Order: sequence, then structure tokens, then C-alpha cells
Amino acid sequence: MTSPSRTQVLSLYKQIIRNANGFNNYNFKNYFLRKARTQFRETKDLQDPETIQQAYRTAKQELGVLKRQSVISQMYTFDKQVVERIDSRKHTQNSGR
Amino acid sequence: MLSNILRGSAMALRTTSMRTALRPSGASPALWSSLRLYSSSLNNDDIRCRVIDVVKAFDKTTASAQINADTHFAKDLGLDSLDTVELLVAIEEEFDVEIPDKVADEIKSVSQAVDYIASNPEAN
Repeated sequence: MTSPSRTQVLSLYKQIIRNANGFNNYNFKNYFLRKARTQFRETKDLQDPETIQQAYRTAKQELGVLKRQSVISQMYTFDKQVVERIDSRKHTQNSGR
Repeated sequence: MLSNILRGSAMALRTTSMRTALRPSGASPALWSSLRLYSSSLNNDDIRCRVIDVVKAFDKTTASAQINADTHFAKDLGLDSLDTVELLVAIEEEFDVEIPDKVADEIKSVSQAVDYIASNPEAN
């Protein structure tokens, strides 16, 4: 078994981020975003192919769980948290438009 | 992409025939404005502003950095490959597109992102 390539890892990271963004609930969403960031940064210096393989496999399994849960999360509505912005454009900095 | 264009033109045909059937005189502006969604009506300045907004809102961006069209993600903003992926996801969501992995690998600066969005007919 060869260890995953750079592109594969980045692609996995991207899918995890995208699915985490799918969560309706602010707390879940940010938990998974933080978790992905920390885990990928923790494993970025790994050298041993076996360990890399292991980490990749774990992350891939977690992506499966994440996908299911984010779909489930979209079936239920949650009240917005006070920290959330109300306007629809997600990434603009100032809400005064 | 091709299927999208086909879908767009099929839609256009359908709405046109519907319009002539319902109201033969005069074009309804509302119908035309909904049709325009199928062509990329974004202009480059608009895209650039929105991309820059996204980059500014991205929390890992160094606050002091001046962001303009030539800003390079890694060199000017100090983002690593993981951050860049996250930033691209934010840009994807802003414009409702999916950037394929191969293309995403090549996008390393604001201007490249703007070029890609401008070339993507699905962006809005």
C-alpha cells in the first residue's frame, strides 16, 4: 500500500470542509471545521508511510460519518445562535450592505 | 457543461413558446431577466470585488495585508496548502460553483481565482 498523494490529501480535506459547512447547526459546523484543521495540521509532519496510510484511512471514515450527519442535520431546523450573522451572503466581512 | 447549455436553451424555448401562447404581444421583462441567469452576467470587476471580500473575511488572512488582484495566497497572505483549500471552498460557496481538484491545485492567487470564476458559466 502506497501512502496517499498530496492531491488526494488536499481533496479529502476539501471534502471534509465542504461537508462540515453543510451543517445547519453552528456548534456542530464549527466543531467539525476546527477538528479537521487540527487533525490535518497534527498529521502534516508524519513520515512513516504506514502511519500516514492509517491517518488517511481514519479521516476517510470520518468523512463518511460527516456526510451522513450533515445531511441529517439539514433535515432539522435550529434556531440561529446569537453569534451567527443573519444576512445571506456568508463570507462578506461587513454586514452593512 | 454541454448538458447545462442544452438545458438552458431547452428552457429558453419552453418559456418563449409559453409566452407567445399566453401573451402574444410584447416581451415580459421578468421572463427575460430569469433567462439571463443562464449566461454569465458577471463582469470582471464585480468578481474581483467579491473574491477580495471573501479573502478579507477569511479568518487566517493576515489582517494588515493589503489585498488586491495580484495578491498571492501563499506569498502575500502566508497561507499554507490547507488554508488555500479552505479559502477556495469559501470562494466556491460565494459563487455557487465547484472547482475541480485539478484546477483548484493551480489557483494560487486572487487573479487566478477571478479568471477561473469568469470562465465558469455556472458562477453567479
